[in-house]
Amino acid sequence: MRVDKRKLYHLDWYLIINGLALFAIGLMNLISATSSFYSGSYSFIIKQLVAFCVGVILIGVIINVDYRSIASRSHVVYFIVLATVVLVLVWGMAAGGARRWISIFGISLQPSEFIKPVLVLLLAGILHEKKREKALLGPGDIVVPFVWTLLPFILILLQPDLGTGLIILLVALVMLWFVGMKKSTYAILIAVGTFLPLIAWRFVLKPYQKQRIYTFLNIDADPLGVGYHTKQAMIAVGSGKFFGKGYMQGTQHKLQFIPEHHTDFIYTVFAEEWGFFGSIIFFLLFITFIRRCLRISQDAYDDLGSIIAFGLATIIFLQFAINVLMAIHLAPVVGIPLPFISYGGSSLISVLVSVGLLLNINMRRYMF
Amino acid sequence: MRKGDKPYNSRFYARPRGAEYEKVMKDGSLPDKYRWCKWVLILTMVILSLRLWHLQIMQGNEMRRQSEMNRIRIKKIIAPRGVIYDRMGRVLADTRPSFNLYITPEDIKDFNQTVDGLATLMGLDREEIIDKLKAASGFPSSFPVKIKSDISMDELAKVEANRVYLPGASIQIEPKRNYPHGTMMAHMLGYVSEISNDELKKKEYKAYSPGDYIGKYGLEKMYESYLRGIDGEKRVEVDAMGREVRTLDMKEPIAGNSMYLHVNLDVQMAIEKMLDGKRGGCIALEPKTGAVVALVSRPAFDPNTFASGITKEEWRAITTDKAHPLQNRVIQGRYPPGSTFKVLTALMALQEGLINEHTGFSCGGGFPFGNRVFKCWKKGGHGGVNVRRGIVESCDVFFYNVGLKLGIDRIHKAGSSVGLGKPAGIDLPGEASGLVPSSEWKKKTYGVPWYEGETVSVAIGQGAVWLTPIQLVQLSSFVANEGITFKPQLVDKILGPDGKTLKIFAPVVTVDMKLRKDVFRIVKEGMQGVVNEPNGTAYGSRVENVHMSGKTGTAQSSTLEGGRNLGDHAWFIAFAPSEDPGIAVSVLIEHGGHGSSASAPVAKAVAETLFTVKPEIKEASAGASR
Repeated sequence: MRVDKRKLYHLDWYLIINGLALFAIGLMNLISATSSFYSGSYSFIIKQLVAFCVGVILIGVIINVDYRSIASRSHVVYFIVLATVVLVLVWGMAAGGARRWISIFGISLQPSEFIKPVLVLLLAGILHEKKREKALLGPGDIVVPFVWTLLPFILILLQPDLGTGLIILLVALVMLWFVGMKKSTYAILIAVGTFLPLIAWRFVLKPYQKQRIYTFLNIDADPLGVGYHTKQAMIAVGSGKFFGKGYMQGTQHKLQFIPEHHTDFIYTVFAEEWGFFGSIIFFLLFITFIRRCLRISQDAYDDLGSIIAFGLATIIFLQFAINVLMAIHLAPVVGIPLPFISYGGSSLISVLVSVGLLLNINMRRYMF
Repeated sequence: MRKGDKPYNSRFYARPRGAEYEKVMKDGSLPDKYRWCKWVLILTMVILSLRLWHLQIMQGNEMRRQSEMNRIRIKKIIAPRGVIYDRMGRVLADTRPSFNLYITPEDIKDFNQTVDGLATLMGLDREEIIDKLKAASGFPSSFPVKIKSDISMDELAKVEANRVYLPGASIQIEPKRNYPHGTMMAHMLGYVSEISNDELKKKEYKAYSPGDYIGKYGLEKMYESYLRGIDGEKRVEVDAMGREVRTLDMKEPIAGNSMYLHVNLDVQMAIEKMLDGKRGGCIALEPKTGAVVALVSRPAFDPNTFASGITKEEWRAITTDKAHPLQNRVIQGRYPPGSTFKVLTALMALQEGLINEHTGFSCGGGFPFGNRVFKCWKKGGHGGVNVRRGIVESCDVFFYNVGLKLGIDRIHKAGSSVGLGKPAGIDLPGEASGLVPSSEWKKKTYGVPWYEGETVSVAIGQGAVWLTPIQLVQLSSFVANEGITFKPQLVDKILGPDGKTLKIFAPVVTVDMKLRKDVFRIVKEGMQGVVNEPNGTAYGSRVENVHMSGKTGTAQSSTLEGGRNLGDHAWFIAFAPSEDPGIAVSVLIEHGGHGSSASAPVAKAVAETLFTVKPEIKEASAGASR
């Protein structure tokens, strides 16, 4: 299948430039986060660049295929990804007490990252079909989407990876809200929504996850464990003051006071070195990026495109918001990567796949 | 789009742009949720900005301070203590590098893990570590607390290998006091040890902190302020494990001042050899300046034990030893001077004109006085004795008579005026006074009057007269110098770390007493005879080529150990050469028996070392000081 030259012309350059800017900032930040005062290891940067190239190639492939064709085959991809998630649970590599990675030809992959865009595609297809029949979804209509969501949700919780699990659950809910539901559906969701956390607290959450929530509520109760890390993260952010300590000058992360400072706590590195001023610009870049995604959703050729784009925008937004809120102690500590910025090939490729889908939808907004 | 409107077909339905946009959205199947999205994004931005404003602007300074505190530690660099040399520049005390184990409370992650881990690795008591941490509780938690000094290479390897499991533990290389000659000169040099909690509370130790070493004995204590030096400090950046990452800036420590002593290591070693295995003391000094050439007290202790951080067991062993190794017998041991005291009795009787060179008394081996008979050491008696022979042969009866003529108060006055019964003023801490009794003293102390019979005893250095070896060396000097004594001084000069002389200790006259010339001549002739005449009590210790003058003493002791009398104390005081005295010596050997046989050979060894060239001694000393 060849791409119409005119369609290339319709590539959303705003989205591309905005995304590139975020990635460039992320790469620059990663160099600082992964080097000490004396020596730097470029292996992180090289891996990140390789993942970026893979992502760009995937974008090239994705934009060549009409998103409707992709959506119609999304259940195939969905099951493949789900199978790898199961594989991870069986054979996966453990790191930090969790089985999240699988090694294929020497490349470590985190399949749960890919479930996010794939689930959006699948749900969008299903919801779009439902919407063709009725304006508002009744309680019965949300059963199937929930089954598709809960399947990976449970598998991911087993890893355990509470962060990714929460994201996909929230995305599903937001997408339901987006397509519109009956009042009765809302009522049922709210009822389940109040009971589920109680059940989760009693049966699902692991002690360390509960500990994180306790710690979030009372940071001083755990001055040496998670509380210590949260406190050090806040000190890192706060010590940046208005203009920051300067690039490569962040002592909090360079001297290892921040755990996971190149993945989940990457924002603290940026805030420490660039301060309030840099952070505001950084936030604005994210907000404009998400605005752009929503615009694509708004301008999509059809409802399917709108729903997909909205779901993808939601994923990026939720990851951004929760990650930053966690770093500044407005949310409990959960392992969620910051799109474009955190180190991690799977996360970056997953984000770039989303970008590819968004470009795809945008290119085809004038189809006749 | 409401239900029942035209069928929705996404494939053929293109949404118009521009002006029709709003309308189409409202007619479409999807409700317009984008307005909500706009508000969600704005709300997110507002929340994030406000929180950041709070953290980075309002709390920014505090957070910056905390991040600095996190990473910057001020570490003390301990100044090496000043080196102590003998008069020829041979090292008596210096410093060597040692490894010390510290705990920085702030860096501890799990208190029990670190403390128990170290306790197991180092074979320490958990309580011991906690006590040390408690002692430093008044200091900031970033202050490293010394747990163990001078750990072995083996222990060092164990700690380094387990550093990951022992957050907060660190090892510092620091200078440690080293005494190359071990127990030799222990009482003179003294020792350094960790400052105690009680000392820390005192005002004069305000500049010290826990774990600091401080001179606690001997010269180390006396000249603490000169020897100590000024500690430097460096600001280092540490990581979350408390490991040093880099040094930010540094104030170099300034080494302590070095000290040159008057001590001659050869003489010191000759005496140490003679006194080996005995209890006693010996001091040799230059009568013309008061410069102390050697000072030995036995038994001794090894000051290196203290510098390495003495254990409770080692300390208990030293303090409960019946031989009292920590006592400096030369300046703290008080003994009846025995016959050496006769020198003073003779001097004063001659000066007062109570006797002259030819005055004679008859010795029949005993002296009846009151209702008892005071015996002479020579059972058969000496026959007719004058003062010269009285000294040479140490006739007791002669001095019983002279003593009675003098009376106790004149003996007391004479003793005081030559410095007996009071500290000689040597530059060591803790010198004892001793006692030369007077009738007034007895009245005051016991409330009873003095009896003449006691004077008889005192005249030959028995009874209530208690003197230290250093006081008797001053008596010897007094005779050698014919009326002048100098304050005994160990330190010659103090040099700054740059080699410049800071302080020179000039001789200080302590006694200057004008006696008639012939008084000294007569007494000196007697003392010369003691060593150099066949009937002299120390004839066996005469020195080839050099004339030594001396006086033996055998002081009765009633010390019992295990129900057995340990025997008399052996004394010998001397100066040499007789013609132009360059050295004065006083030797005491506790329970050594006769002064002539036990103590005089020590003085002989001193004179030989100084005034006759003996190849084997030179070689031996060169070997030992290497």
